[in-house]
Amino acid sequence: MKRGDDPRRAAEPVTAMKPEELLKLIAGARGDAICVPTMTTAPEWRDIAPDDLSISCVGFMGGASSLGLGLALANPKRRVIVFDGDGSLLMQLGSLATIAGARPRNLTHLLFKNGVYHTSGAQNIPGGFDVDFVLMAKGAGYRTAYAIHEMDEFKRRLPSLFRDEGPLFVELHTGLADKTPMTARGGTPFPDQVEHLRKKLTG
Amino acid sequence: MPESVPASLILDAYKEIFREARGGRPSEPLGWVLSVPDTHQKSVLAALDKERALRTLTCATEDEANAIAAGLWIGGEPCILMIQHAGLYASINTLRGVAIDGKVPIFYMIGLLQRERDKDPRDSRHSMVRWCEPLLDTFGVPHARLEGPDDVHLIAKYFKLSRERRGPAAVLVGLETM
Repeated sequence: MKRGDDPRRAAEPVTAMKPEELLKLIAGARGDAICVPTMTTAPEWRDIAPDDLSISCVGFMGGASSLGLGLALANPKRRVIVFDGDGSLLMQLGSLATIAGARPRNLTHLLFKNGVYHTSGAQNIPGGFDVDFVLMAKGAGYRTAYAIHEMDEFKRRLPSLFRDEGPLFVELHTGLADKTPMTARGGTPFPDQVEHLRKKLTG
Repeated sequence: MPESVPASLILDAYKEIFREARGGRPSEPLGWVLSVPDTHQKSVLAALDKERALRTLTCATEDEANAIAAGLWIGGEPCILMIQHAGLYASINTLRGVAIDGKVPIFYMIGLLQRERDKDPRDSRHSMVRWCEPLLDTFGVPHARLEGPDDVHLIAKYFKLSRERRGPAAVLVGLETM
């Protein structure tokens, strides 16, 4: 789907950021943070960071934020970064309140907002691009929540994304990724990722 | 006939399980209880509110609780999920994806709300009670019944089983705890 073809996506900015560029910048700034990609960020992330402290949310769509919360609670001295999707977050929207209630200071919740279920054919999410997740995160009780629309702003704020106290929510206005889990299959099976990360974290 | 189990016995069992899971090493918290509140186990939840050694996290859904449990497991933290049979039905796909396919050991305490004292759960006139064990059987989840104080040892047994099998295991709380 081309940007602007669908009138229901009229609110989507034409200057939307490329998710691949965002991920590369994140990879350079994350330090030793644990990363939890899901859906369309997962294929690119495994190319960028193939053998490190990452685990993809695979097989239980919507679970990335909760998986990230568990990791953050278990590893309070290490930053945990969730790469969520808007369609994914809608599947477990209550996790915003659960995360806010748990108040993990080390959790950064990044929402790659593209307005569609890209993996299944780019159908609009309920409400399309107009859904205001920042308002929801603030209402749930996140310590900080804001949106980033342009790359220059993202670069400027990047260091603070992984330094500021959490729970921190950032809605990233992006275009569609080049790859999806359907067009770029493969990667390490989820149970092997579990085992790998557990060994790294617990020795 | 089944009997209600005192909350204090269940909490003592949790503490012992967590101590053993940590190999006796002191820790703060000792372990985690992830709960989607369940009427059937409300006396345990009330006791947990006053318990300093355990940290209780109330989750909005059982789906969340499963995924949080996975994160805790990966990070080396022991936890127990307390849910209701309705929540098991609601979250069965996440249980499949995380605990079965993902091979994450997750132990569930499942309240059988409306279970009749004089009936086997499989003969209950309430579908939520009647189908709980068959559903667990279908997914190959080992389970046991907590039918009275003498069964409290099953909590530790099935917690360990979840770890040995690297998957889900459950104890079904027969009558409302007291």
